[in-house]
Amino acid sequence: MKHQPTNMNVYVTGVATTKFGELWDVSPRQLARQAVQAAMKDAGVHPEHIKGLFVGNMLSGMLGGQEHLGAFFSEELELFVPASKIEGACASGGLAVHAAFNSIRSGQYDTVVVLGIEKMTDHRPEDVATALMGAGSEEERAAGATFPGLYAMLARAHMRAFGTTEEDMAAVAVKNHFHAGKNQNAQFQKEITIEQVMHSSRIADPLKLLDCSPISDGAAAVVLTSQKSKIKNQKFVEVAASAVATDTLGLAQRKSLTELSATKRAGEQAYTMAGVRPKDIHVAEVHDCFTIAEILALEDLQFAKKGKAAEAIRNGEVTLGRAKHIVINPSGGLKGCGHPVGATGVKQIAEITEQLRGTAGNRQVARARIGLAHNVGGSGATAVVHILKM
Amino acid sequence: MQSPVKIWRNQEKLVELIGKTGTIVSWTLVRVPTSGFSEAAPYPVALVRMHGGKMIMAQVVDTSPGSIAFGTHVVTVIRRVRKPDEDGIIPYGIKVRPV
Repeated sequence: MKHQPTNMNVYVTGVATTKFGELWDVSPRQLARQAVQAAMKDAGVHPEHIKGLFVGNMLSGMLGGQEHLGAFFSEELELFVPASKIEGACASGGLAVHAAFNSIRSGQYDTVVVLGIEKMTDHRPEDVATALMGAGSEEERAAGATFPGLYAMLARAHMRAFGTTEEDMAAVAVKNHFHAGKNQNAQFQKEITIEQVMHSSRIADPLKLLDCSPISDGAAAVVLTSQKSKIKNQKFVEVAASAVATDTLGLAQRKSLTELSATKRAGEQAYTMAGVRPKDIHVAEVHDCFTIAEILALEDLQFAKKGKAAEAIRNGEVTLGRAKHIVINPSGGLKGCGHPVGATGVKQIAEITEQLRGTAGNRQVARARIGLAHNVGGSGATAVVHILKM
Repeated sequence: MQSPVKIWRNQEKLVELIGKTGTIVSWTLVRVPTSGFSEAAPYPVALVRMHGGKMIMAQVVDTSPGSIAFGTHVVTVIRRVRKPDEDGIIPYGIKVRPV
């Protein structure tokens, strides 16, 4: 008998995000419980509906000494279903959503939970920086490179090729802090100025403190399902595309320093899968781990021509309330909302879902019906792109 | 973290990499380092296009950060990579210095 591919439709039916920030009084178990219970409540599902648990996390082993996170959180959530940790550096969350998507699309499971979680501020910044470099290559670690350092080298290459300035990069941070001010769960809820970014302490030249996303704690959860008819919740958002691409771990092995090829390829695949063009997207959460990364993302996802993204951002063309076609990072992005690395990719899906449902409150993008989430691991070795439709 | 076996295995490769020349294509000055590098901070790290086409990433030594520019000619040298850990094994690796 010939095997027939099922290709079930996949819907987001419940979402939740915890507060992101320095949460010294909260444990990973509490964060997970908060996020998953809220997402299940939002979806109107009960534990017996859940057939699988996908956990997006990067650093639990290196920082906390705890691995085996699938079973760990399955126990905490009292689900006792098939459960696994998905790791892909800062794209762990997006990859976990991708794995969950595939499990439903194939017909293996009908309803699953994706939990993205990271606890970073329990540890010394130096140890966190070292652990994060686990996402890079051995050569990069031996050179004493840090993640700000890697993106600084990408920034300098972009500045040379396209005349991008430090002020252009600062404008990304200013916009994303402006958006984060409208998000109660964001780590930073205050506006900043170009001057403040320019005068903040230097981390890895030309990047300064306020060009960098922070070290954060937080969790996010989404419930995915194919069972539109069995769940009473009417707030279904379709996952129209889920695409992943990979590239070399190290920057030195890349063909170009002025683009992230994995983002371009994942983006193109996702647009094809969803049957939409870049200009059809109304709202996007992109991976702005550093300000230069948002500039690269807008170009690689074809929201702006190569070398033109900085100008568009600076002119307010992707800012809430001023944008004509698309708003970028209404949640505040990684820069403003915070970046608990394993949680970020899941939070992006939660944010786009809220935007498409029209429940994003005072950061609502008007008439948003098609949204995109873009999650990057390392300096671009993994890229995950999802497209959601209402 | 520092495995003597791994260090020993990689030693042979090091020899072939010494004395090669190239030019700097991008660089940064790391001011907030990872563990084992705090004594050296702030230190420059560069992407170097080697003659022959291959690109490497390495720390730049024997220079002042202000004198690094696009196209600066460098040569690979062997240096201590990072502070030895409790076992006392000194890890050596490739760095570059201007020529």
